[in-house]
Amino acid sequence: MSQGIDLQDSFIQLLVQLGLPTGLAKALWLPLPMTLMLISATVSIFVTVWLERKISAAAQQRIGPEYAGPLGTLQAAADGVKLLFKEDIVPAQADSILFTLGPAIVVIPVFFSLLIVPFGQHMVITDLGIGIFLWIAMSSVTPIGLLMSGYSSNNKYSLLGGLRAAAQSISYEIPLALSVLAIVMMSNSLSTIDIVQQQSGYGILGWNIWRQPVGFLIFWIAALAECERLPFDLPEAEEELVAGYQTEYTGMKFGLFYVGSYVNLVLSALIFAILYLGGWESPISVDWLASILGISDTVPWLQVVTASLGIMMTVLKAYLLVFLAVLLRWTVPRVRIDQLLDLGWKFLLPIALVNLLLTAGLKIAFPFAFGG
Amino acid sequence: MLNFLKQVGDYARESVQAAKYIGQGLSVTFDHMSRRPITVQYPYEKLILSERYRGRIHFEFDKCIACEVCVRVCPINLPVVDWEFDKGTKKKELKHYSIDFGVCIFCGNCVEYCPTNCLSMTEEYELAAYDRHELNYDSVAMGRLPYKVTQDPMVTPLRELAYLPKGVMDPHDLPAGSRRAGKLPQEILAETQPRNGDTDQN
Repeated sequence: MSQGIDLQDSFIQLLVQLGLPTGLAKALWLPLPMTLMLISATVSIFVTVWLERKISAAAQQRIGPEYAGPLGTLQAAADGVKLLFKEDIVPAQADSILFTLGPAIVVIPVFFSLLIVPFGQHMVITDLGIGIFLWIAMSSVTPIGLLMSGYSSNNKYSLLGGLRAAAQSISYEIPLALSVLAIVMMSNSLSTIDIVQQQSGYGILGWNIWRQPVGFLIFWIAALAECERLPFDLPEAEEELVAGYQTEYTGMKFGLFYVGSYVNLVLSALIFAILYLGGWESPISVDWLASILGISDTVPWLQVVTASLGIMMTVLKAYLLVFLAVLLRWTVPRVRIDQLLDLGWKFLLPIALVNLLLTAGLKIAFPFAFGG
Repeated sequence: MLNFLKQVGDYARESVQAAKYIGQGLSVTFDHMSRRPITVQYPYEKLILSERYRGRIHFEFDKCIACEVCVRVCPINLPVVDWEFDKGTKKKELKHYSIDFGVCIFCGNCVEYCPTNCLSMTEEYELAAYDRHELNYDSVAMGRLPYKVTQDPMVTPLRELAYLPKGVMDPHDLPAGSRRAGKLPQEILAETQPRNGDTDQN
């Protein structure tokens, strides 16, 4: 297995050679990947909003945004600017502190979870030991923010929306965690890097999707529910609840919910790509191709190619999943709240448990294929 | 035990069926993505309206005999006919005529019953105004004809579905001179006309 590019090491070495102490060089490195990640997450919102609107339009035989920028690419920016300039209203009877805090608590954990998303062997902000567990923990913070903003709005629709969001997140977190656990069991590590490593080497055949077909479906359903996307958008079901917990919000606070939900969608798609679709691995293994062509994997240009291909692959897989989510949005009708809870507790949970047991059994029986 | 197994089997079958239906639905949505948009890009493209379209009413002042049939057949007695009896000619003289299109429901009864055909329906449907009183059209305003979509250089006229050639679904880029499916009204009329002439001779 090749080591690939290690930008951090090269950067620190360069600074040390320039005469800086190692500690300072490391401190100088720290903000770089974080800023980059923040910027790319923000850009991903624009891309996702544009994709969502264009794909929705195509599915309904419309054109979609067309006049704001080339092909309507600046539509999301126009919407964002509009939201920025709107008056920021706090309802008279609302709890203003919690009302303001709510959207922030929804958005921050989503951005925080991007810490563990790897785009290559060394292209991750931090390779935490608890890795994927951080994402699960962080995603359970979000419903607190939703409930907070719903309750503090002092509006029955907001409260109902917040309660629904909390109920939904809690019931779908368990199957989600169980399906992730099956993956973790196979790769013997919580670290996202190790999870991708374990899938590498055989191209598309090595991906976890073949070893975890059931877990893959459970994860996708649960992830859609966690992102509150259709068919699970009950917390903001406009026909019943006006806009759920967003009802009383205006301006950028309202915009923050959208920022949170779109980044969450991209994040879920990225995590999905990492867990089941081999992360940065190409469908045809680059290492294998290089060894056939007789190119050493320490050649610099090959490393650059591998690294950029890895980033492209991760993003491509994630956006394929976003596309699938948008397509599902216009295919499946919204489920009722009792059906939603039935699906979570009576269908996904038992199946996820059986899947976990089955994975454990297969791991003992076929240790070579299921990561013994 | 058997009963339980049967339940499990039924449940599994239903789940698979549900998954199958979702898959079918997805393929339908996916198929729609490759079709051309059916929307009309309104200010730039407009539909050529059907000849039976009931738009804003046109009024010819000189033809009107102030009989007030239009008022009587109107569901809400909307047209306002202001006339005076001229003793010299022993005829009603029309002074003002107006219809409030903010209230009119465009049912076309007045047009249908007008004895002198001084009322007719145009294809004008762009009646937006800043003030609802602007929609109260007097005889001068009602005497104006709307601009034809086919003659407007700013607008791409599009044919409605029923006016497209047979089997064509897309009104864009039709070859010049392409005809709609079926016979035109005037052709049907031309076919029936000689026969009428025969009966007249007999």
